Amino acid sequence: MKAPRQPVARIRGWKYNAKKAPGAGKGVRPPRQKPARPDRGGARLALVAMVLGAVLAIGVAPALLAQAKSAAPKKVFPYSIHKRTLANGLDVVVIETPEFKNVLSFNTLVLAGSRNEVEPGKSGLAHLFEHILFRHRWKSQENGYEEAISRLGAHNNAWTWFDVTFYHPLTFTANLEGRSEDLPGLLALEADRFSRLDFTEKIFRTEAGAVLGEYRRNASFPSLKLEERLTALLFPHHPYGHTTLGYYEDVLDMPNEYAAAVAFYETYYRPNNCVLVIAGDVRAEEMFAKIEPYYRDWQPKPVPPILATGSPPKTEQREHVPWNADVAPLVWVAYRMPAHKTGSVETAVGQLLPELLVSPAAPLYRKLRFEKQTVNALGFEEGTQGYESFDPRVLILSAQLYKEKYAERGQAYFDEVIADILAGVEELKQFSRRKDARALLETLKSKYRYDFLAAMSSPANIAQTFAWYYRFERDPEVFEKLLASVERLTPRDIDQFARRQFVPEHRVVLTLAYEAGARP
Amino acid sequence: MRESNSAPVVRWLLVLSATLAVGAAPARTQQVSVVSLDSPAPLVTVRVMVRAGSAHDPEGLEGLAYLTARMLIEGSFGDPRAPVTKERLAEITRPWGQGAMPTVQVGKETTTFSMTVPREVLPRYVAQIFRPMFTQPLFEARELDRLRAETLTTLRSNLRLEQIELVGLVTLDNVLHAGTSYAHPVATERGAEAITREALQRFYVTYYRPEHLVLGVSTREEAVVAPLREALAGAGTSAVPPLERRPLEPPPAVQGREVVLVALPNAIATGLHAGFPLTINRRHPDYWPLYVANVWFGTHRDSFSYLYDQFRALRGYNYGDYSYIEHFENRPFALFPPTGYPRRYQYFSIWIRPVQHDYAVHLLKALTWELEHFVRTGLSEEQCALAKNKARVLYLSLAETTERLLGYRLEDAFYGLVPGYLESYLEQIDAVRCEQVNAAIRRHLQAANLKYVIVTDDEVAPKLAEAIAANQPARGKDPAEYQIEVREENGQKLYLVPEAKRALLERDAVWAHYWLDIPRDRIRIVPAERLFVTAALP
Repeated sequence: MKAPRQPVARIRGWKYNAKKAPGAGKGVRPPRQKPARPDRGGARLALVAMVLGAVLAIGVAPALLAQAKSAAPKKVFPYSIHKRTLANGLDVVVIETPEFKNVLSFNTLVLAGSRNEVEPGKSGLAHLFEHILFRHRWKSQENGYEEAISRLGAHNNAWTWFDVTFYHPLTFTANLEGRSEDLPGLLALEADRFSRLDFTEKIFRTEAGAVLGEYRRNASFPSLKLEERLTALLFPHHPYGHTTLGYYEDVLDMPNEYAAAVAFYETYYRPNNCVLVIAGDVRAEEMFAKIEPYYRDWQPKPVPPILATGSPPKTEQREHVPWNADVAPLVWVAYRMPAHKTGSVETAVGQLLPELLVSPAAPLYRKLRFEKQTVNALGFEEGTQGYESFDPRVLILSAQLYKEKYAERGQAYFDEVIADILAGVEELKQFSRRKDARALLETLKSKYRYDFLAAMSSPANIAQTFAWYYRFERDPEVFEKLLASVERLTPRDIDQFARRQFVPEHRVVLTLAYEAGARP
Repeated sequence: MRESNSAPVVRWLLVLSATLAVGAAPARTQQVSVVSLDSPAPLVTVRVMVRAGSAHDPEGLEGLAYLTARMLIEGSFGDPRAPVTKERLAEITRPWGQGAMPTVQVGKETTTFSMTVPREVLPRYVAQIFRPMFTQPLFEARELDRLRAETLTTLRSNLRLEQIELVGLVTLDNVLHAGTSYAHPVATERGAEAITREALQRFYVTYYRPEHLVLGVSTREEAVVAPLREALAGAGTSAVPPLERRPLEPPPAVQGREVVLVALPNAIATGLHAGFPLTINRRHPDYWPLYVANVWFGTHRDSFSYLYDQFRALRGYNYGDYSYIEHFENRPFALFPPTGYPRRYQYFSIWIRPVQHDYAVHLLKALTWELEHFVRTGLSEEQCALAKNKARVLYLSLAETTERLLGYRLEDAFYGLVPGYLESYLEQIDAVRCEQVNAAIRRHLQAANLKYVIVTDDEVAPKLAEAIAANQPARGKDPAEYQIEVREENGQKLYLVPEAKRALLERDAVWAHYWLDIPRDRIRIVPAERLFVTAALP
């Protein structure tokens, strides 16, 4: 009676899905940016607000932000965070959120993603592994794990990104431990699949086929093609040069890569390379005591470092991609960014970039979207998650253009939009010279802090956001450090960041437009 | 059946006011009711539920509840010499985060304002925004004109011509409640055009008085709750005379089967909807057994359920197929039911997402046969157990965030549910026995009296009407499309049907030969551009 598990559901982490399925993005990437409210013309309101913002900020905003600043409490995150490291190196973090009665968000973060696919011809393995983990043969039974989870009752899903793979079952606290041999608890099931994964070559080949189906389905999105070109151009020297889904040739060949897959698991699915993040109606001490016996036999192993094999490109690169379907033309302006470092000025500025560049209140957004009406959407293609990474990655400004205008003006239209985007980015280099720079920056900090907190609206959201940032320095105080670093920013920090980062040699510009008979 | 069940409906309306006092401030006339959670979060979620919605729109002024609500936020408020305009509002709230900007949802019987405010700025928020917004709305005429124009655009182009799924869902809701105050969407064209500034003020004095308001707060701390409650004490005062309160009648019973075909220009597929009014809501003892039955039959956006399995998973007709025992707002876009749309009168419905035009009649028969079959056979013990297990897991999503927890608390206040819906959810599910499920199915579900809404292309619609009325076999997919091997032998097609696929083909044949028995005079074709002009169907 039950339909088989939908592969769609399991790859939420894969950004193209998230975009195409409104409302399904819960588990995609850290839910820090609050989604736009759907019910009315918020964009228009915000526009007017910003126009006024520039004018009024001098008179009004200082009073507001003085208030906001003085009121900012020392410790911002409201829940208690507890950490214990087991003898085998497994970090266990428990976040107590007792108001969500009987809810258990039990997450495993594996510090390996497509960045760890270093061998030529073996891209896409991290994502494939995410699928395999759901096919674990609990008690040597085909589909044993999935059936046991289904009997237990849990929402179970996962996603894969460049640096990490995140598994996030959600169930009742009462389901942590089993009721009998036949009804194992979530703790037993999770510990078993991570530390003693049991899968066959047949299962491997089946899932490789499913991944191929996924690739083909997503191949109709022009953004996949742009992403492939962009990463190849920016990172010829680093495994960031391919997408999480992998190269098409590699995905085609995946069924033959069983041995490589086993090696991937043996290398990266190790306790010292994983973090358990548990949030919900739980007690930390009790959890530590229960978890330890299940995970202690998992053997640690040193994880090989990921090294760049050359140096990044030294000049600006531009490329046009013809597309064979009649889609809206796209412009991507991308910059290589510094690696994430919690507490650093660079990372703190990165947190405010969405508000500075692509929020409905940002000058660049207003100019393109409302004043000139040359684009109908402007945003960061991968959010801030594009550059919150172990090694330097990328900020992608993506604009969707109007078909009719492109039909009329062609390349000149592209040139105009690109020039406007570059000018908007350039303006940040003079940010501190704005008359309202200080006031505006304080407003942005305040908005950032409150939007950050507003996103912490459920145990699952809290755990996911925590895991996302915790991985960098493994510091349980990571939220406070990140927020404090943003609080410390001065207008000149913005200038300096922009001058250092937004330079031609860090830049790639891509355009995409319909061309009958094109072969993408 | 209808008569015998209307008594509880009336009764719970009476119980409502009594039960509301639970967790509320000491009962005093003209007092705002309060519901709360116990969250330590540094952002306080605040909701204000007005016990009036679009069902309270006076006849001919459909859209009044909606425009009043929007105008409270966007039509300026406070001191007329220094009003908080919508621009100023955005400016003030910006440093407090996206959530500090109020939003509003308008349902049939309630209007719900939501905002999330940092605890430390709450006093300022109350003084600058919350109090003046609810007590001194200015209803500026130019903002009314703008919102009216936006509403008309939404009705005329977006809803009628772009949202093929939503237009079907809204139309079914309307036709099931034909002739009652529930029969129109959030606004109609004529209604929106006729609404004046004075009408807004009159709606406001009638329904925004403290005794009609329920305040929901994510914390119980009196220091937080009290200023909010007190701020609402002055709501709903103005010099204009109140409106006559519109009575809310139950929907008429459906007699036999009838079809409304909505004809859209350039529709590339056909969406199917069917439903009938239910006589129960959350307060009825049969609610939970029926809930479990529906989880098995048609859980929204979930591959677990039967309809999805039959139509999408096994046969690949469309993106999904679901059933409902309560109104579910915003179905095309929401994975779980949004809170804020409680109703005393509920309806059962089936939603078959758009399918290829050629298969519409076949699937219309299929959905009807399946409903009939479901009523006839009920669920086995094993199916009940699976459905109960699934229902339990759904709780995790329904109760996921503070906003949802608070949203359900407000709905509890509307229904007069003690203990609340989510508070008792798991216990209620556990307590359901399979014989109760089957009894509830037999008591409340049926397939003989159905209203169908079909949204299709305007060129296809007349042919579809004839095909439905013709009462002829209507085939769905060819066996070849199920990866069944076909051979040509002596000019004849020979299907090599594997044992595993026999049941599938047999069921297809049953569907194809099911008689809907809907005469042509019970099938109406309505051009989409004539929908939502007034509350009546054209």
